[in-house]
Amino acid sequence: MKKSVLLSMSLLFFVGLFMVCPLTYAQSTIKVGIVDTYTGPASTYTLDVLDGFRLAVDKINAKGGVLGKKIEYTTRDEKFKPDIGLAMAKELVMKENVDLLMGTINSGTALAVSDFARKEKMPFFVTYSKSEKIIGEKGHRYVFNMNENTEMAGRAAGVALAKKPFVKYWICGDDYEYGHAIADAVWNNLKKLNPKVQLMGQSWWKLGEPDFTPYITQIMAAKPDFIIVATGGSGMVNFQKAAKATGLAEKIPFYQHTANELGTLLPQGKNAPEGVYGTSNYLFYFPDTPANKAFADEFQKAYKRYPKASALTGYMTALFIAEGYKKAGKLDKEALINALEGLKIDSPVGPLAIRACDHQLELPTYFGVTKKDAKYDFLVSGDTQVVPPKDYMPTCEEVLKLRKK
Amino acid sequence: MDFIYSIIPAGVLSQIFVGLSRTTILFIVASGLSLILGVLRIPNVAHGSLYMIGAFTAFTVTKLFGGGSAGFWMALIIAPLVVAFISLIAERGMFQFLYEREHLMLLLLTFAFSLVFGDLVKLVWGSEYKSVPVPHIFQGFVPLFGGLPFPLYNLFLLVAGPIVAILLWLLTNKTKIGKIARAAAVDREMVGAVGINVSWVFASVFVIGCFLAGLGGVLVAPTVSVTLGMDHNLIIEAFLIVIMGGLGNIWGALLGALIFGLTQSMGILIWPQFGIIFPYLAVVIVLLFRPTGLLKSTW
Repeated sequence: MKKSVLLSMSLLFFVGLFMVCPLTYAQSTIKVGIVDTYTGPASTYTLDVLDGFRLAVDKINAKGGVLGKKIEYTTRDEKFKPDIGLAMAKELVMKENVDLLMGTINSGTALAVSDFARKEKMPFFVTYSKSEKIIGEKGHRYVFNMNENTEMAGRAAGVALAKKPFVKYWICGDDYEYGHAIADAVWNNLKKLNPKVQLMGQSWWKLGEPDFTPYITQIMAAKPDFIIVATGGSGMVNFQKAAKATGLAEKIPFYQHTANELGTLLPQGKNAPEGVYGTSNYLFYFPDTPANKAFADEFQKAYKRYPKASALTGYMTALFIAEGYKKAGKLDKEALINALEGLKIDSPVGPLAIRACDHQLELPTYFGVTKKDAKYDFLVSGDTQVVPPKDYMPTCEEVLKLRKK
Repeated sequence: MDFIYSIIPAGVLSQIFVGLSRTTILFIVASGLSLILGVLRIPNVAHGSLYMIGAFTAFTVTKLFGGGSAGFWMALIIAPLVVAFISLIAERGMFQFLYEREHLMLLLLTFAFSLVFGDLVKLVWGSEYKSVPVPHIFQGFVPLFGGLPFPLYNLFLLVAGPIVAILLWLLTNKTKIGKIARAAAVDREMVGAVGINVSWVFASVFVIGCFLAGLGGVLVAPTVSVTLGMDHNLIIEAFLIVIMGGLGNIWGALLGALIFGLTQSMGILIWPQFGIIFPYLAVVIVLLFRPTGLLKSTW
């Protein structure tokens, strides 16, 4: 009698252990695997993504996590190489058993990891790559784009520039995908909205060109009304310095995506040229709302520097993951994706939503001109106007048509 | 002036001068590379990293002296010396034991150095873009050539280039160490045989070459963003210039830099959309007809 009780008790115990254990043991945390470039010049942006993400994760975990689980993350440095990045994403999924993937600034890596994520049915959040192919041509159910892409940035600038009186345009930029994609998007949208504009000519330089002076003097001699400058990375600062030295900034107005952003203006201090047109998707001082101020202060307190646009991307990615799981009510990838589609949550810059049809985060774009501000020892975005997402986002039909090709 | 414009349009003239100022930086860096190639036979891939360190040091020194013009002038003196000091340590600690090795081995070793220097720069200065302001007296531009604005700093570079060239000429032709170095480039064993301490001659040449890389880094700093990766862009151009001019020949470096700078600026004027191909096209043409470079190679 006593023996059988003991036997049944122990049997019950083992069965119970068997049932409970895999659930509690395998899913004690939500693991996010981050692949990004943390060495070289790109890290000036990626470290802000990571720090923004960390800021939100710490806050979420301090409140007890999501569905009782803490969020934890592991990073891998892909060193701006798509093959390494892909291998690291695979390693994170196979060996580290991450639940979600996140990254990267390199478009090549982002597309490679995205393809892998599709096959593995693993949600992947793109945090800094600006390629429009991520949610366009190569888009699928498992990929989310948490920052603007070249098509969006270009279109937003087109909307704002169409209202300006300029007629004769010159286009120049970095001779690689990002440069051409931005320039095409600005020009095509501008031409559609204001058919009077003319293209006088184009100049394209190699990526990483250190000295723009010969290009600028040539464009100045051609005397266009306005220049669309499609540069990225260190080219942003290089071009602005050359524009100041040659007097271009005072003679011919020009536009650069992210010209009015902290990442471009901070390194130049008070010496940046004034009157440069730019678009940005986050400014820590605009809009001047309590929510934005609170985020900027929090970030500054934690890391002793102002947040760049990429800080918001990292921050919002963490919040969307948390809110998505909460809405799904369970730790399930498919349920998370369903929950994220169309999810709208509060952000430092007002409510933001992930579009259901293509998984693109709908971000407002801030169009402004660089100007001095007594409060800061660097230039800021002045006369900033908001271009709301509905004015410039490609429609669902346009994006989904690209996927069919 | 109007007479000149009737022969050469103002736009072309302005473009030529912009090209020449670009030549200055290329020449200073490439001549240092060529000097080391000629005398020490080291294809120094880390030369670009020393140029980068020069630019970053210029940033720090400028900041230390209040971020103004005085800071830049101090940087112009201090930064190349800092780079020279680093190269002295590298030469005494490492390269002096390796002169007899194969070129491929030296190439790989200096490449390894460039990676190490790259990471050290990241450790010391971080990954943010840095910017060195143009000194006050060279800020802005002057209307030159039919009213087309010309940056004052580029005018300064146009003056600095020939000064460096003359000093280099004096160094190699009029000083004892220059003469020994030239002799060592031709036959290093013979120089050793007549009782000259070749080891220290090599060290001095290496340091002078690297000093030039640092100087190039300081001079370029006000015109660009000082950032990681600026070394890779430059080292390729510098090698092309040295190969085009003739390995180890300083005047070849000058000629190569002139061709590179001018084909670039004129290419932009002629065909802005494809301006980047012209300097490389020039390299291909030169090497097709003169595979060993334009001037006499010391190799």
